[in-house]
Amino acid sequence: MGHLDEQFRQVEDLQDEASPNFVEEVVVVFFKDSGRLISNLEQALEKYPRDFNRWDAYMQQLKGSCSSIGASRMKNECMSFRDNCGQRSVEGCMGSLQKLKREHAILRQKLESYFQLLRQVGPAGAATRPAM
Amino acid sequence: MASSLKALLVEDTAVDRMVLSFMLRKFHCEVILAKNGKEDVDMFLEGNKFDIVVCDKDMPIMTGPEAIKKIRAMGATDVKIVGVSADDNAMEAFMSAGADDFVPKPMRLEVLGPMIQEVINMKNN
Repeated sequence: MGHLDEQFRQVEDLQDEASPNFVEEVVVVFFKDSGRLISNLEQALEKYPRDFNRWDAYMQQLKGSCSSIGASRMKNECMSFRDNCGQRSVEGCMGSLQKLKREHAILRQKLESYFQLLRQVGPAGAATRPAM
Repeated sequence: MASSLKALLVEDTAVDRMVLSFMLRKFHCEVILAKNGKEDVDMFLEGNKFDIVVCDKDMPIMTGPEAIKKIRAMGATDVKIVGVSADDNAMEAFMSAGADDFVPKPMRLEVLGPMIQEVINMKNN
């Protein structure tokens, strides 16, 4: 499975001449929001031990954002975390969170490279999206 | 597709607000934003009229379904209300609150388009 699914193409299709940087703007907001949510969740894991409902609520929000930009691997880790909440497994939740953070970092790096490449090739080269 | 629909987007997550509002604008909707269910209800209390409301489920202060119940109770029965959520179990909550449709996130243009067209058709008739 790639890091991004078809939904990212939908987001790219929204970009037009009036908003030529829309995709990058969305991605910037995504990483700002997701970073904050992950940080809030980490604090909640410490401050509210075994409060699976609270943990799940944070992850529910993150899952939504991941879905909206097509961050498929991150979304899967969100779902895994929520499953672990349902099973009331602290260890499972911790494991899922670590995987989620890894995918978050990888996706950020890949998208930064992607946008850098787009800036180099210009609008004509943007027609072919590198596989992610 | 030409449209002069007035859309209210009720969404607390910034990414979803950006993507959904752009999608609505692609269909030439005028988009008004609310960040939670209470702001949603306040829009109606202030006398605003909308052709379509696209509403998230889990939001601070007031959830989407709670807001929808209040809006319908106010007599706003004509406005099309679409619930959207990444929660797979959200459909029941939205529909029992009085929503017309539920779309699991992520919203897609090919799903939103026909909904917008339906509202345009009803408005023209």
